[in-house]
Amino acid sequence: MAIVIRKLEEYDEVEHFDCGDEPLNNYLKRHAWMNQQKIAIGVTYVAVEQSAPRTVLGYFTLAASSLKREQFPKKYVRGLPPYDLPLLLLARLAVDRRFAGRGLGAALISEALKIALHIAEEIGCRCVITDAYRDKIAWYAHYGFKPLGDAAAGKTQKMFLDVRTIRAAYDRAETER
Amino acid sequence: MPPAIKKKSSAPTAQARTQPKVRKTKFQADLAPSEDQMVRSLKAELEMTSNSDFLTDALALFRWAVSERKRGHRILSESAMGERKVLLFPRLERVAPEVNLPQAEIAWTPQEIESLAKLATGKPAEPTPALIRAMRH
Repeated sequence: MAIVIRKLEEYDEVEHFDCGDEPLNNYLKRHAWMNQQKIAIGVTYVAVEQSAPRTVLGYFTLAASSLKREQFPKKYVRGLPPYDLPLLLLARLAVDRRFAGRGLGAALISEALKIALHIAEEIGCRCVITDAYRDKIAWYAHYGFKPLGDAAAGKTQKMFLDVRTIRAAYDRAETER
Repeated sequence: MPPAIKKKSSAPTAQARTQPKVRKTKFQADLAPSEDQMVRSLKAELEMTSNSDFLTDALALFRWAVSERKRGHRILSESAMGERKVLLFPRLERVAPEVNLPQAEIAWTPQEIESLAKLATGKPAEPTPALIRAMRH
């Protein structure tokens, strides 16, 4: 299966996408294009097969964000640069369940983290934040994401991955090539 | 008897000796008549008399536009009624980053901010084998 990951396009076939989670299906079908093109609140990248380049098999959505320096507890401010902390939000990531178990999720997160590195070099980004469903916490932790705050509260869990860790992984992968 | 007007010494002062002379570059441009007219009318509007001042200001503005676009920022004008017009200038797009993401707000709890601050100010974690593999893809 030759997979291509690229930005969502207007005529991509998303109507039959089913990852088993209605809010994630609905986001791709109803909001992803609008959010990307019209109101610019998130960019969606899709995985398609080369032989059927319009059918979306998986996707993730990214947005930039930042945390104001004043929001940090005083004891940590000294260790931070004198500006707001730029973050990359991995807002959604889903794979069509008919294509689950074929490494698509790994390919998607790999692309998302490479984009994070690229953004860190181009315009600055300190870490990647995601809001994981409870049953996906272990999957994100596998890639080094750390839970933020109270791990027992809420339906989802905010998780953190330092861009310096991603860069170290990239350098290690390059030297092992 | 010494002369009434002392002759100015031609020897450089100590300060002049230590500071390198700033060499100015001459800038010559061939302008079409319409562009020449545009320069003249802009200079008149901005009450400028010298071409050097005109070029210095134009350069400062252009440099600012390039640096903003490099950071992925768009350049736009906003009318008093809030109507916005985005500047689309093909040469500026060459410096725009390939990935330009929109800004999103995240709702944080104080506990989340506390642990984020702790992680962001601490030593970065070692990459996991899965992350290294992901970077190899």
